[in-house]
Amino acid sequence: MAEETQKGTLGGFPNPPAKVRVEQSSPLPTRVREYFGHIADVVKTFWEGLSVTLSYMVRRPITVQYPDRTEKRVADMLPSRYRGLLEVDMSVCTGCMACERACPISVIKVSTDKDPTNPKQRVITQFDIDESKCMFCGLCVEPCPTGAIQHTREFESTMKSVDSLVFRWVPDPEKPAPFYRPVKGQDAPRAPVGEILRKKMAEASWIAPASILVPDGPNKD
Amino acid sequence: MKITLGLDSTSLTRRYPRLAILVTLFMAFGVPMGLYVAALAIFPLNTPERLNAMAQQWFDFDLAGSPYRYLVYTVFLLLVAFIAVNYTAVFGGVSTWVERRVAGRMQSRIGPNRTGAAGFLAWVADAVKMVLKEDTIPASADNLLFRGAPYFSMVGLLLPFVVLPFGESAVVTDMNVGVFYVTAVTAFVVVGILVSGWASNSKWALFGGIRGAAQVLSYEIPAGIALMVPVLMAGTLSIQGIVRAQGGAPWDWFVFRNPAAFVAFFIAVTSSLAEGNRTPFDLPEAESELVAGYHAEYSGFRLAIFLMVEWANMWIMAGLAVTLFLGGWQVPGITDEMYKSALGTGLVPAPTWFVYQVLSMLVFAIKTWALVFTFIWLRWTLPRVRVDQMMSLCWKYLVPGAFLCFIVTLLWQILVPPVGATITGIVLTLGTLALLVKFLVDTRRNIDKVKGEHVDLSNW
Amino acid sequence: MAIDMQLDRHILRRTESSDEEIVVNFGPQHPSTHGVINFVTQTNGEVIRRSVPDIGYLHRGLEKIGEQVPYPGYMPFTDRIDYLAAMFANEGYAVAIERLLGVEAPPRAKYIRAIAGELCRISNHFISVGTMAQDIGAATPLTHALRERESINDLLEELCGARLTFNYHRIGGVAFDLPEGWAVKVLRFLDHLDSYIQEWDRLITFNKIFVKRLANVGIITREKAIDYGLAGPNLRGSGVNWDIRRDMPYGAYPDFDFDIPVGTGRFGTVGDCWDRYFVRVREMVESSKIVRQALAKLPEGDIQAKVARKLKPDAGEAVGRVESARGEMLYYVVSDGSEKAYRLRVRTGSFMAMGIIEELSHGIMVADLIAIIASLDVVAPEVDR
Repeated sequence: MAEETQKGTLGGFPNPPAKVRVEQSSPLPTRVREYFGHIADVVKTFWEGLSVTLSYMVRRPITVQYPDRTEKRVADMLPSRYRGLLEVDMSVCTGCMACERACPISVIKVSTDKDPTNPKQRVITQFDIDESKCMFCGLCVEPCPTGAIQHTREFESTMKSVDSLVFRWVPDPEKPAPFYRPVKGQDAPRAPVGEILRKKMAEASWIAPASILVPDGPNKD
Repeated sequence: MKITLGLDSTSLTRRYPRLAILVTLFMAFGVPMGLYVAALAIFPLNTPERLNAMAQQWFDFDLAGSPYRYLVYTVFLLLVAFIAVNYTAVFGGVSTWVERRVAGRMQSRIGPNRTGAAGFLAWVADAVKMVLKEDTIPASADNLLFRGAPYFSMVGLLLPFVVLPFGESAVVTDMNVGVFYVTAVTAFVVVGILVSGWASNSKWALFGGIRGAAQVLSYEIPAGIALMVPVLMAGTLSIQGIVRAQGGAPWDWFVFRNPAAFVAFFIAVTSSLAEGNRTPFDLPEAESELVAGYHAEYSGFRLAIFLMVEWANMWIMAGLAVTLFLGGWQVPGITDEMYKSALGTGLVPAPTWFVYQVLSMLVFAIKTWALVFTFIWLRWTLPRVRVDQMMSLCWKYLVPGAFLCFIVTLLWQILVPPVGATITGIVLTLGTLALLVKFLVDTRRNIDKVKGEHVDLSNW
Repeated sequence: MAIDMQLDRHILRRTESSDEEIVVNFGPQHPSTHGVINFVTQTNGEVIRRSVPDIGYLHRGLEKIGEQVPYPGYMPFTDRIDYLAAMFANEGYAVAIERLLGVEAPPRAKYIRAIAGELCRISNHFISVGTMAQDIGAATPLTHALRERESINDLLEELCGARLTFNYHRIGGVAFDLPEGWAVKVLRFLDHLDSYIQEWDRLITFNKIFVKRLANVGIITREKAIDYGLAGPNLRGSGVNWDIRRDMPYGAYPDFDFDIPVGTGRFGTVGDCWDRYFVRVREMVESSKIVRQALAKLPEGDIQAKVARKLKPDAGEAVGRVESARGEMLYYVVSDGSEKAYRLRVRTGSFMAMGIIEELSHGIMVADLIAIIASLDVVAPEVDR
């Protein structure tokens, strides 16, 4: 719809904005009442707004002064279902790779192999989770039969190098983790959620170069 | 996991918290007190007669006849200007701190609270940062105008300090056309806005500049007329004269002595808000529409000047309203004769005079800060008006209102005997007090009306 | 600069211009365009001649991703289609796939879906009205709204573990049951909310300046609203009494008793910005009614129907529509028998709202354009997907 440029009628001044209501001249008393009504409205609504704002000055601000002026660590104040960083307890991992299949963005990489010393046993030689890509959706936690992989309440994971954010839960492929065989009728003896992760992160230093936490492994992507 | 920043030292104030408190106290009280004391000491001395007398008595030097007397006068004037500019800068900074803390609590959050005790040094840090920033000028901007625009605004800000009385004698000069002078020089700020908007060669800045020009020019008219009302009541254009015509007690203030003056006070304050580009009239720099408007392309020290102008302008607006309507520096209980008699003979006045002066400066500061707090409060409560609504407010409501107040005051001064003013004073004072109490009660009730809220002053 | 002007000229399809008119880009980086959207505006001083939205800055190919990821794995991506009303995005997808499979969620899951959805609606409307107030100039109501929204964020965090991208619904139901003591916390919050909205009204809704800025601005008539395909509060603000929860019922909504607020033109004309704003404020009150009824009548049972882990629905297509906070959210899924969708199409309310902006922009002022965009509750991720 090509519109021609309309020149205004007053020497090139722009057209006034389209009026919505046709302004009929109402009788004078109505207009006078409206005029003073506007002023009264202004005073009334300003009064209410200003009193609300002033009352907020004596209420407690909701700011949580993280990280140093909270009563507890913030991670300990979060609800138990909070989806923080992932943690895997390798001692109860069955090697079913259901979590790897469930992840929509393929951040979990699990490699299994036959145990060279025991042909009846299979071992997990690699269990890498790329926390830098993880979107914390929780789809990997649901299909796990023993609850080995869980979301913890930890969320602080600043590292100097992005590669350090690949958490290797089998740090040394020479020392693989055996498949756990679940016992019927018993819950798997998983460590309390968060313990292993906190220990692992306390040992790591954030400014360490990538090679400390990420040894050159067989499937380094 | 413990995050160490890889640096060897944490900041000085983290290692020595007492140092933070000391520096804060120095900046919060030491510097302003120093400025006030300097103002009190230097401003009254700033006339040729007093300088001559001082040179005669203390240094046995005939200044009046010396060919270098203008040099000495100029040096003193520069000293006065130095104090005034410093005061502007310090006030601008401190008011940003007050604004950020007050705004924070009104918005259910805390303002700055880590730099220095209670976050008071945040403005110092900001000022230092601004000075150290890179000075960028858009490539297609008009170089000379771009560089010069902030200084127009700064001039418009600083000139009214010449007649603004901080206390009974702490005024740079008492012009006999003080009100007229102030109305004239505050218009300099709009030159800065317009020039910066144009010279930035950016459409956003241009929008802001044009809006600003329209706004400030329109609101000069109701401001000027409303400011004439106390002039009529006092019979003089000199600001000190107007203050002396009022008294210390609230019923002696001009705002209460005349119903038209009461209305004119609100018109004057509204127009001042519009001239100072404060919400609800901050269209020239509407953050959510124009992304900083006329000073969008500025950075570093030039931006600091624009921002200082905006905040220190609050002092001018509030100071003017206080001197003309709210009794200025008049202390309840201290009359003109007491000031004069405390002066004594000799060059240096008696200590009582200094006590009176300090009291008057204190009263002025308290009243002005109360009004500044109100401006901050209005800013963080009210939305912004649109350009055409701002214009219609000015021309359809404020200008007729101001004219009406002017005429009513004229007739009042002629027809009504002085006792009428006293009665009106007492009635309006009591009425305002009642409204204030009701307002505070309403405010308290607001908290009770919402389930789960209560008064809680923790979390600073 | 030359490329800019060609692009602008192309967007505006303008062949001639007068000297007084300038072309301004509102965005894509702008505090008030609710995301990265560019509005190429041709103005004559303060008065706009035309303003054309230029979208696509936030396109992430989410519909294409739907063809790459298996059905259950796509749920987190639906969060990102509209992260302010993520529960509805989840629910719409779940409903569409459930219709494809021919399963239905159990009653308890439907009730929980309604609870979670309505809480999410309240949370979204807080942002919507808060940012609208900020665009008009008042900075404080936004922070107050976010303060209230924090309570909802905390509640939903307890429920599903995340504050924004919930990933709570599953195909066939919901992921977790209500935690211990959660219902009590929700009821306490709702008590607070009902009295809080009155304070909100006193602070900003009836403020004279706010009303004057929004009344009679951006009027959308009934016919135009229907023609342009608007949905949700935008449609109801123009006086059209249409709500999918009542008119095409799904889930547990037939069991609840609630009103549908419709614009009445109280301070101006029906269909102006203030009406749309007020409809949202009233919807928050209605949502709290729904949550109360749902918590009171919550049935026992499963929270998820039995659905295979590796989903391979029969070839076919299905549509799932939910009344999202921002209008109707429609998921159209075509399956070819494999475990990934053949085509996934998402139709969102904000995308439809983009179409009407050009028509509304003739002859208004710059400040009004901001008010209109804010009142349409446009969210960039919904527009671009």
